[in-house]
Parts: sequence; structure tokens; C-alpha cells
Amino acid sequence: MPFSRKATLERRTADLAATGDEPAATSPKDGAWAGMGRAERAALIAGSLVVLAALVGPALSPYSVIIPSGAPLLAPGSAGHLFGTDALGMDLGTRLLAGMQRSLGAALAVTLVAAVLGSFIGVVAGFFGGVLDTVLMRVTDLFLAFPATIIAMALAAALGQSLGSAIVGITVVWWPLYARLVRGEVRRVATLPHVLAARVSGVRGWRLLARHVVPAVTPTIAVTASLDIGAVIMTLAALSFIGLGTPAPAPELGRMASDGMKYFLNSWWVAVLPSLAIGLLAFLFNYAGDALRAALRRTGV
Amino acid sequence: MTTAPLALSVQDLTVTYRSRGRVVRAVQDVTLDLAPGRCLGLVGESGSGKSTIGAAVQGILPTDGSATATGTLAIGGRTLVPITDPAWRQVRGREVTTVFQDPMRTLDPTMTIGHMLDRYTGSAAASVEALDRVQIRGARDVLRTYPHQLSGGMRQRVMIALALARGPRLLVADEPTTALDVSVQAEVLRVLRDAAEGAGCAVLFVTHDLGVARSMCDEIAVMHEGRVVESGPADQVISDPREPYTRRLMASRITLETDVTRPAGPPDAAVAASMADALRTQGRDDTGLADAWTAGTLTWARFTGETAAVGAASDRTQVRLVSRVTLPSLSVNQVDKTYVTRRLGRAVAKKVLTDVSFEIRYRESVALVGESGSGKSTLLRIAAGIETVDSGTVSAQGVAGEGTQVVFQDAGASLTPWRTVEQLLAERIAHTRSGRSLTRAAQRDLARDTLELVGLDASVLEARPTQLSGGQQQRVAIARAVVVPPSVLLCDEPTSALDVSVACSVLNLVNLLRHSLGISVMFVTHDLAAARLVADRVLVMTEGRIVEEVAAATLAEDMTTPYGRRLVDAVLA
Repeated sequence: MPFSRKATLERRTADLAATGDEPAATSPKDGAWAGMGRAERAALIAGSLVVLAALVGPALSPYSVIIPSGAPLLAPGSAGHLFGTDALGMDLGTRLLAGMQRSLGAALAVTLVAAVLGSFIGVVAGFFGGVLDTVLMRVTDLFLAFPATIIAMALAAALGQSLGSAIVGITVVWWPLYARLVRGEVRRVATLPHVLAARVSGVRGWRLLARHVVPAVTPTIAVTASLDIGAVIMTLAALSFIGLGTPAPAPELGRMASDGMKYFLNSWWVAVLPSLAIGLLAFLFNYAGDALRAALRRTGV
Repeated sequence: MTTAPLALSVQDLTVTYRSRGRVVRAVQDVTLDLAPGRCLGLVGESGSGKSTIGAAVQGILPTDGSATATGTLAIGGRTLVPITDPAWRQVRGREVTTVFQDPMRTLDPTMTIGHMLDRYTGSAAASVEALDRVQIRGARDVLRTYPHQLSGGMRQRVMIALALARGPRLLVADEPTTALDVSVQAEVLRVLRDAAEGAGCAVLFVTHDLGVARSMCDEIAVMHEGRVVESGPADQVISDPREPYTRRLMASRITLETDVTRPAGPPDAAVAASMADALRTQGRDDTGLADAWTAGTLTWARFTGETAAVGAASDRTQVRLVSRVTLPSLSVNQVDKTYVTRRLGRAVAKKVLTDVSFEIRYRESVALVGESGSGKSTLLRIAAGIETVDSGTVSAQGVAGEGTQVVFQDAGASLTPWRTVEQLLAERIAHTRSGRSLTRAAQRDLARDTLELVGLDASVLEARPTQLSGGQQQRVAIARAVVVPPSVLLCDEPTSALDVSVACSVLNLVNLLRHSLGISVMFVTHDLAAARLVADRVLVMTEGRIVEEVAAATLAEDMTTPYGRRLVDAVLA
């Protein structure tokens, strides 16, 4: 699922079409919060709480993230260990929060780099056109032509087992989506009357791009990026599930789930809880992204 | 008196919109009656609530809670609660049908005309009859075409046929001819009227144009700020309006009888004298200095013979020579232009301009008149430097040496929505030679003064375009174009999207600027009345050629070509 890039690209294009003809008129300054429904606000608040817990939880917890606590191994949830312990007797709750923290950090890094790099390439290709456009887009096509999973796996494996190589591997396959999406948007915006009018009044080149074109595209990039974080979290977890990514004993949700599989029949929580944590993060970010998009659409009218 | 129930009866209708905490009362206590087979004109400017009534009567006000309505509507004697009544489903599209403004947007591009019509009429034979009723000849062939293969006028006739096909009691026509060329407007209106009469269908005719309403309707209701301010028989309302608002609306119409008195140019002797002084003290040649003028902090001077001019900057005492250029302002020589499009891999050439030559002299205003597809807009784009010519030459030279500037049709769309007015003006100033020669403070003053010149308050500087009204947006667009005076101001139908009263003031503004800033104007339009108001000469274009040239003041009498006559008749009708 996390690797179906063609489908994601199509879905996004459809989403954009649904936002109406003129997302260019969007000025995402104020009123986003006021424009949200109750469910959307609840999701944003819940998301913020989860993120907050992941950020400060491990530091506040009485247990260490990587040193066994001395408690019984594979113990179920109890007053001392709310979510039980794992095969080495480490507190599972603490490790879950720490794992979420890592996932979040890594996913943000991947999304940020992919969005900035891809958008830059897309903006340049779409705005300046010509040979530059052809070259940049053929390179992009090249990346899109190979199965992303395989490239990401191969890269992560080649760079050695670490969180860094997983991040690099995923970023490398992720930016082309932004390049394609943003190029199309820029080409559309560049034909709008206000850009023509600015050109006539003498504004050219990078200045025209930065002042009259890019601001129309940034809401699209922001929404896409916020929707992407969930997918990146899933992909990272998938890579570490098959053994690429953070080496033990550092807490990583995918790895914790795969290690927990061995004890599944007797102690289901060691495998199920990390999986649920992955799902929760992905769900929250998807929902937050949707809320953001809906809010932008409303304020854009 | 007829005993049949009224086609439409509106009682005390009030409609309120709510969006993001703001409440707007769009329609207030409106009561209207429309007898079967009659035509009622609902006339008003944008924001008067006329379209809201149109929507309420069709049962298409938003149902998501953003609109609330009180009062009652009755269609053919059947009383309906506005917005929420479940019976709207039976009424909408059957009892009440609609002819919208733009048939290209409302006809389904994936279906043939026959396909669409047959669903309502039931058989191809009945569809042919339906097309006959809207006076389409060769109905059988038309049934097989798709909307994009028809002309605008034909499309609107098809739309009328579709709207009447189910035998409705009421037809709502919302500005049905605004998107059409002038010469077909009258025809479509006649067709609409005859067909509705033949079908015994009442028409609610929503329009901003009092003249159109008069030729079309039995009765007229004039709306202003959500209320009906005056209503009665069409002839009486038009020829003998009771209310001051109606009178104002009538007065602001631009017709071929509109009084054309132009503001005199400001031959400012004092400015010229100080300019000559300034030039002499700097050791520059001031012989032949004809006149000089100021716009805010910029000062320009023109030399005699209309052969050379100088652009000078900063205040009167600190004149610096910026450029010396040759007049006329715009000369277009034997321009040809062909568009090549690819259709299914094959190149299709379409010649849009053929051997076009003309000149615009210093401070002269020339209107290019023609219908869509005549090539007038292409010519404007070439003069603006947006398009290139295939052969021939175009040169624009001005006093300030800043070439041409464009005022676009849709001002709202031509202003970047997230930039403030100040930023937009500053940007233009910074991208010109004479603008750059000013200090920061002088640039700001210039922006401020220019806003004042176009009739806007300086407080607009901080606003973003979306916070302004249509008229204000067009003034800002004009301010940006003239903040550093171009040699030629190219106007692309700058008033066609504006209300009449605003349109008139924008035309006057263009005239004023021409004289006070010493710029020439090229005014592209399909509206002869507007052309007469702003231009000295009128050039008529058709099929890519200039076919006629007449003096604007006497164009109604002087027009000789058949095409020119058609345009005149369309305005007079």
C-alpha cells in the first residue's frame, strides 16, 4: 500500500481538481481554524497530544528506553508497566513512545527534504520550460519508472543498516512525486491573468516566480506534504520490519513489531502494540492533512 | 383579468447569507407577481440581490445552512417554502427552467444536442420541432452536433430550446446574452421572447441592462441593495422613472447619445516654465519645450513638432534627462499573424491578422472595435509585447520611454491576490527607468499620488485585491499601468465586467488620464457606445483586417461598411 505511487499521484491530482478551479486565489492566512468542523478540530488536538507524548514521554518515563528494567520478561500490562514488557524486560510503553518519536522525526525529515527538493525541481521545470523542463522531467520519469520499494530497499541495504540509510533510501524515491505535481501546478498558474499582468508591468524571471507564481502553489505542497507524512511513517516501518533501518536495541516501531512476532502466540501485545502505534500515527497525519486541505479550500473561496 | 394562477408569486422574500461569522442580507422583503406568459425584468447592479432572487425561484439556493430565507414562493399556484421544501424536486427543471449566462459552460460537452434534447422531448421528431421553435434552420443536422461545434448564438438558442422542452410555467433567464457578441444579442433576445410566448411560458429576466430589459419585458422591477425600489410597466419605468436610483441608473447608461465632453488637457504653463528653468540650470537644451506636466512627484516634458520628447524625473527643480524618443506613440506596420495549432498531429493554420497598419498619435485615443475572433485582442497582445508578429513591425515610444501597459478585462484576475496594492504599484515603479531614478520616499509618494489620481483613497495601499470591489480593482489595475506613464495605454475591454455606473466612471477616468498624463490610448472593445466615449478615432476590425476608420464623434452617421452598420444597429436596437 505505501508504495503505490501511481495511485497516490492520481489521487492527488483528483484531489486538486476537487479543490476547484482557483486554488491560486488562496491566501492561507487566517480563518483555517475557524473553518474546521468539530471532528477535524478533535483530530488536530488528538494528533498534537500524540506528538507531544512522543516528544516528551521517553524523557519523563522512569524507565530507560534501551536498558532492561529488571522486570519479568514478556509481562502483560500492569500498574508498574502500563503496556507490559518485551522479551528483554524493557518497558514497552516507554519504547513505544520513543519509537514514535523516531518515526516522526524520520518521517518529517524525509517529507521535508523530498518536498523541498521535488518542488524546487518542479517549479524550475514548469516555469522555465524548454530543454530544462524536458531534462528534469525525463530524470523524474526515470525514478518513477522503477518500483519504488525495490530502489528504497536496495539503497537502504547498500548504505548499511541504519536509520540514516532508510531515510536516504525513501527520500530518493519520494521527491519525484512532488516534482511532477508541482510542475503541473506551476504550468497552470503561469498562464493565469495575474501572472501575465505582472509580466507586462515588467516583472521577470525569479522575481516573477517567487512573488506571483510560487505563493499559489505552496498550499498544494503543504497539503500534499502533510498527507504524505503518514505514508512515509508506514514505509519507514515497513523497511525496518524487514530488517533495514535502525539496528537493535534502539526502539523502532517496525523492528519492534517484527521482533515481537516470535512471541505472538503467548504475548500478543509485543507485536500488536507497535503495529497499532504505526497505524495511529499514519491515521492521525492523514486526517490532519485532510482537515488542512478542507480548511484551505474553504478559506480560498 | 385572468383566472389562471400566477406563474410566479413572491411574497415578502428575505434571504440571508452567513459566511464565517458575517451575515449578509441579500434580499429584503421582496414581493413580485408574474402572470402566465408575461415577462418580468429584474434589473439591478451586482450585489443588488437580483441573482439571489433568480436562484431562490429556481430552488437552487445553497442547502448547507449558509443561506436562510423567509417568506413564500408560489409557482403556478403551488406554494413552496424557500430552500427547504421537498417539493422543489418536482418543480426544479420541470415547472421552472433556466437559461444561464454562458451556454458553453452549461451544455454538456460530451453529448450531442439531439442526445440532450431527446431526453426531454422523447423523440427526434419532437426535438426537431423544439429547435424550429427557436428558429434554428437545418435542425436535423444541428441535432447531430456537439456544443463546441456551434457558435455562441446557436448554443444559446439550443439552451432556450432545452429550457422550454418540458413545457415549464416559468423560465428564469439570468443575463442570457452577456456572453454573446453584440450583433447576435438582439437576435437571441427576440428568439427567447417569441419562443417563450409561443410556449405560453412566463419569463423572469435577470439583467443589469435597463435598455435590454425594456426591449424584452412587459414589466420591470428595479432592485437596489436587496429591495425592489421601483416596479411597473416597462415603458413607464424607463421613460418616466419615479425613483432617484432608477434615474441615476438610466443616466449612467452609455449610449450613442451620451454627452461626450472631455476634460481639457492641462497646458500647465507654470510647470513648463520651471521645467525650462531646471533644464537650463543643468545646461540642457530647452528649445522647443512645448509643455510639461506632473503626476505626483514625477515631471515630464514634451518638445514641439511631436518629434521628440524628454522624460524627466524627480521634482520640478531637479529635472534629469531620462530619455529622448520619437513620436508617434504607437505605429503598427503591415502586421501579419497566423496561429498554428496541432489537431491530431496535423498542423492547422489560422490567419488572425492580415496586413494591419495604423498609427496612434501623441495623446490620441483610438478604439479597435470588432467581434470575438476579429483579431483585435491579438493586436493588443502584440502591442503589449505578449505576442510576436510573423511579419511587419510594431513600435511604441513615449514621453517617459516606458513602452506600453495593459489594462485587462478582468481586473480581479489580473491583480495577484496575495500582494498588497502598495506592493503591486511599487513593483511596477521599480521595473521602469524613470521609476528607479526616484528615491524610496519619492516612489512611495508617487504610488500614493497615483491612487489619488485614479480616484482611490490612500488607505487602499494596504489592501489586497480580494478586499476591493470590482470598480476599485479596475482602478488599481489602471493605477499600476499609469503609475509610470506608458506611451500607450492598451485597454482590453476594461469595462465589460463592470456595472454600468462604474463602467462609465472608469471610461471617464481613462479620458482624464490621457490628458493629464499625456498618454495615448488604444481601446479594444465590442461596444461602440464605449468606443465613442473614449476614442477620437474608431477602427473597425473583422476577420483580421481593419475594414473601416471613422471619427468617433460621428460614428453612427459615418459608418458605411455593412459590418460597421450592423454594429451601429446593434447598439441602437
